[in-house]
Amino acid sequence: MTKSHAIFVYRISLAVLFSLLVMSLFRLQVVKGKTYQRIAESNFVRIRRVVATRGEIYDHKFRPIVSNVPSHNLFLTSGKIHNFPALSRFLARNFGISEAELHELVLKQRFKTYEEILLADNIPYETMLILSEQMNYYPELSFRIGSTRNYLYPNLFTGYVGRINEKEYEQYKREDYSINSYIGKTGLERYYEVLLRGRDGREIVQVDAQGRSLDLLNESGNIKPLNGLSVVLTIDNDLQEFVSNTFPAGMRGAVVVTDIRSGGILAYVSKPDYDPNLFMQKISPETWANLNRSEKPMLDRIIHASYPPGSVFKPLTAGLGLESGIVTPYTRLASCVGGMKIGNRFFKCWHAGGHGSTNVVEALKVSCDVYFYDLSLKLNLDKMKDYARNSHFYSKTGIDLPNERTGFFPSTEWYRKTFGKNVGIIGHKVNLSIGQGEVLTTPIQMNAFYAAIANDGLWIQPHLLKQTVGRGKLTREQLIPLAKKRLPMSASTIKSIQEGLWSVVNAPGGTGANARVNGGTVYGKTGSAENSMGKTTHAWFCGYLVTTKPEIVVTVFLENAGGGGALAAPITARILNYYVGNLDEIKKIAPIPPQFRSIEQPEAEPEDASEVPESLPVQPEEQGQ
Amino acid sequence: MINRKKFDFVLLALLVCLITMGCIAIFSASTTVIGQHIRIENNWWKQIIFAFVSLMAIALLIRIPMPIFDIVVLPLFIMNLLALVVVLFTPAVNGSHRWFSLGGINLQPSESAKLLTILMVARIISREHLTEYRQILYGFLLVLLPVALIIIEPDFGTTLVFWTSLMAMLIAADVPIFYVLLIVSPIVSIVCSIWLPIIPVWLIILILLLIRARLSWVAITVASIINVFISLITPVLWMGLKDYQQNRILTFIDPTRDPLGAGYQIIQAKIAIGSGSVWGKGWLLGTQKNMNFLPEHHTDFIFSVIGEEFGFVGSVILLCVFAIFFGRIIKNIGELKVKERKVATAGIMAYLMFQMFINIGMNIGLVPATGIPLPFISYGGSNLLINAISVGVILKYLNERGFIK
Repeated sequence: MTKSHAIFVYRISLAVLFSLLVMSLFRLQVVKGKTYQRIAESNFVRIRRVVATRGEIYDHKFRPIVSNVPSHNLFLTSGKIHNFPALSRFLARNFGISEAELHELVLKQRFKTYEEILLADNIPYETMLILSEQMNYYPELSFRIGSTRNYLYPNLFTGYVGRINEKEYEQYKREDYSINSYIGKTGLERYYEVLLRGRDGREIVQVDAQGRSLDLLNESGNIKPLNGLSVVLTIDNDLQEFVSNTFPAGMRGAVVVTDIRSGGILAYVSKPDYDPNLFMQKISPETWANLNRSEKPMLDRIIHASYPPGSVFKPLTAGLGLESGIVTPYTRLASCVGGMKIGNRFFKCWHAGGHGSTNVVEALKVSCDVYFYDLSLKLNLDKMKDYARNSHFYSKTGIDLPNERTGFFPSTEWYRKTFGKNVGIIGHKVNLSIGQGEVLTTPIQMNAFYAAIANDGLWIQPHLLKQTVGRGKLTREQLIPLAKKRLPMSASTIKSIQEGLWSVVNAPGGTGANARVNGGTVYGKTGSAENSMGKTTHAWFCGYLVTTKPEIVVTVFLENAGGGGALAAPITARILNYYVGNLDEIKKIAPIPPQFRSIEQPEAEPEDASEVPESLPVQPEEQGQ
Repeated sequence: MINRKKFDFVLLALLVCLITMGCIAIFSASTTVIGQHIRIENNWWKQIIFAFVSLMAIALLIRIPMPIFDIVVLPLFIMNLLALVVVLFTPAVNGSHRWFSLGGINLQPSESAKLLTILMVARIISREHLTEYRQILYGFLLVLLPVALIIIEPDFGTTLVFWTSLMAMLIAADVPIFYVLLIVSPIVSIVCSIWLPIIPVWLIILILLLIRARLSWVAITVASIINVFISLITPVLWMGLKDYQQNRILTFIDPTRDPLGAGYQIIQAKIAIGSGSVWGKGWLLGTQKNMNFLPEHHTDFIFSVIGEEFGFVGSVILLCVFAIFFGRIIKNIGELKVKERKVATAGIMAYLMFQMFINIGMNIGLVPATGIPLPFISYGGSNLLINAISVGVILKYLNERGFIK
C-alpha cells in the first residue's frame, strides 16, 4: 500500500511538472510566437554601453590643456554581416582596413556577435557625409558620435589616450573596460586614469524596427554614465608656453619650474617634444619613424632619463661635510693649484689656474673641485649614499606621472661587485663628490632638492595635480597626501649652502652671473657634467628666485650643450625675468651652442670662453664645474 | 555482466537518446555564422568524448561487485566533503569558489556530492527499526553537511536539489506523506505571507489534509499555530531587512527587476524560444543564438537553442523523451525490493527531474534563474558524467535485483 503510495506521488509530480512546462511552452511559442518572431527579426533588444565623457585637464587658472571634441566613429555589429566580401571591399576602400584585419576583429568578437566593434574613430565629417549614402547596403555598419581628445599644445606630461590593446584588456577587463574602450597610455592620462575615466553607463535598447518600445524590460534599469572628473593642474599655461618658446630650437633638454611653497610644477618642458594629437588618428609609418628618431621626442627627459649631475650635486657634498662636523663654514681645505694630487693620481680642477684655498661658500661660488675632492677623502662612501637618498637623490620623488626613474648612486658593495674585490674606492669617491662618475639623477630630483634648500630644508613632493573639478571636488591633499620631509641638514648648514648659492650668481667671480635678474635675488648653481653620451658636457643650472620670500625654482638641463654658466644660466634668467615681469629683458635671444646651430645662423662667440670646459677624453671624472 | 532478463535496456536507450539530442544542440550552439563564414568551437566533440566516457563509466559500474560498491560509498562521501571544504580556498571564479581547475578540466565537487549524499541518505534512513522521527532527523543532518558547505561557495541553486531529493527519499522510505507535508508547510506559509488573504485558504487546506491523515488533534493544533505564526512573522522580519538585502531576494524571485543581469538573460532566452514558434527555424539557423545574446547558451541556456531551432514541436518531443525516461525510472522504483536501493533510486529520480524542471522553467521564464544545467543536454563534462553514473546506479540496482533477499 505505502509503496504504491510513493509511486503515485511521483507520477503525479511528473505529470504536473510536465504539463506545466508544456503549457508554458505552448503559450510562449504558439500563442505569442508571432510577437517574439517580430522582436527577434529586429534583434534590437540588447544592452549597450554608454561611454562616460572623459574628464578634461586644465591649468591652474582653469584654462584648458586637454579638452574633448566630438568625433564620428564607425561601428560594426558582426552578427548582422550578410555579405562579407562586399563589406571587406567597402572597408578596405574607405578606411584602409584589410580583409585580414577585419577577419581578426570579427574572430575576436565571436562570442559577442551582437556587440558593436569600433572599426574607425575620428572620421572626418565630409567622409562621413559621403559614405552615409552607401550605408544602407551595410546594415551591420553604423556611425555614432563619440568624443576624442584635443591636446592644446605639444608636451610630455599630459600623455595621450588610445584604444585599449589586448594586453591591457586582459589586465583591466574586470574594471569594466570593453574592447572598444580608450585608456590613458602615458603621462597624466595614464596616472589619473581612474579619476579621468568616469564610469560607463548601460542602456537597454528595446525598440523594434519601427522604433516602438517593446516594453520587455524595465526601462528604469538603465544606468546613467558617470562622467570622469576634470583635473586642474598646477601648470601655468603662459609660463609653460614661454618656457617652451624660449627653449633654444634644436636643442635637447628639459626645464622644470616649480612653486617653492606648494611644490606644484608651473612649467614642465622636455625638448624635443611631440604633439599627443598625433595619436588620436591612425599613425602613419612616417610619423611613427619621426617619433622614434634619434632625438627621442617621446622621451620625457625630466623623469624618464637620468643624467650625471655634475657640479649641481656639490651642495649635497657640502651639506654632508658640514652636517657631520668634518668642516665648518670657515674651514679652508686643500689649496687648489688647478687640481690636487691624491695618491699617485692628479685630479684636475675645471679651472687650470687654480682657486687657492677656499671655504665652503667660496668653493660653491667658483665651483672649485679641489675643495670637494679634499672633503670627500674624509667622507665614507656609504654614508654619502645614505645622505643622498635621504635628500631624495636616487629615490623616486613620487611625482604624479608614471614610470619615474630612480636615478643611481653607487655603494661600496656595488663597486666590489662590478669592479672586483680589490677596487680602489677613493678615486671613485672623489669623482662622486663633484657629481661625476656613476651618480645619475633626474632633473625633477634636482628641482625638488633646490626647492627644499630654498624652503629652508622642507622637501615637498613635486606634483602636477592641484585639484579635481566636476562631479567631485577633491584637492591633491585629499586624493594623495603630499609627502613632505626635512632634508638632513641643520639650519646653519642650509644657511651656508644658501650663502654659497647666492654668491654663485651675485658675488663677483661667481659662475652663475648670467642668471642675475632685476627685481629679485637669484640663488643657484651651475653644472657642466661630463658624460658618456658625447664629448660636450651636459649644461645644468638649478636656481631659485627670492623676492620677499622664496618664489620659484627653475631647473634647466641641456643635453650635451656645453657649460652650465654660459648656456643654462641665461635661459634661467629669461624665465625668471618673465616671471618677475621684466619684459624688455626677455627680448635678448638665448645663446645657442655651436653644435646645435643650423648653417644659416651666424656664428657667435660664446659669452664667456672660460666657461667652455676643456675636453679631457680619457679621464672624464677629473672635470666638473 | 549484464543480466539480460533484468537489465533495463529501455532506460539505457532513453539515456543515449537524450545525450545524442544534447550533442546535436551543442553542435548548433557552438557554431557562429558571420556572413559566409561559419565558425565552430570545439565544444561539441568534447561533449561526444565525454558521452563515451560516461557510457564506459556505466559499463564499469555495472561490473563492480555489489559488496565493493556498498563499501566505497562512505569513504567517497567523506572525501567529497573534504573536497567541498578545500574548494572554498581556491581562487574565485565569477565571485564564487566552485571549481577545481586541473589542466583545463573544471571539477565541481558539488556535482558528485549530490549523488553520494543521495546514496548515503538512502543507506541511513532505510535501516530497519527506525522511527519516522529518526529517519527525518538523520536525513536532515546528512543533507545539511554538504548543503552548508555549498551555501558558503556560494551556490544557492544547487542546494535546492538536495532538499528535493531528500523529500522524495523520505516518501520512498515509507515515511507517511503527512510528515513530508508538515516539513514543507512552513515554506508554503512563508510564500503565502506575500499576499495575506491566501493564508486562511492555505491553513484550511493544510488542516483538512492533516485530518485526512488521521493525526491527533493536538498535533494538528500545534502545526496550525506554528504555520500561522510563521506566516505572520515573515512580513515583520522582511521589514527588518536592509533595502539591498530585500532587493537581492526580490531579484532572485523576479529577475526582471535586474534587467541588466539575470533579467536580461531570461528575456533573451524567452525571445529565442518564443521566436522558434511552432516548427522552429531549423537546425543551425537560429538567429538569436547566432547573435550570441546569451553568453552561456551551450550550458545553462542550451534549451533556448533547442526551442529556437526546433520550435514547439521539437521542445515537446524533448520533454516527452524526458517524461518517458522519468516514467521508466518511477516504474523501476516499484520493481526494486531492497529498501535502500528503492530509496536511492527515488532520490536520483527526484534529483534529475528537479534539475530538468528548474532549467527548462528558467529558460521559459517560469522559475527564477539559477545556475542549474539541463541534465544530459547541457555542455559540461563532469556534470554529464555524474548524471550518467546516477542512471548507471539505477541500472546496476535493476541488474542485481533478486540476488539479495
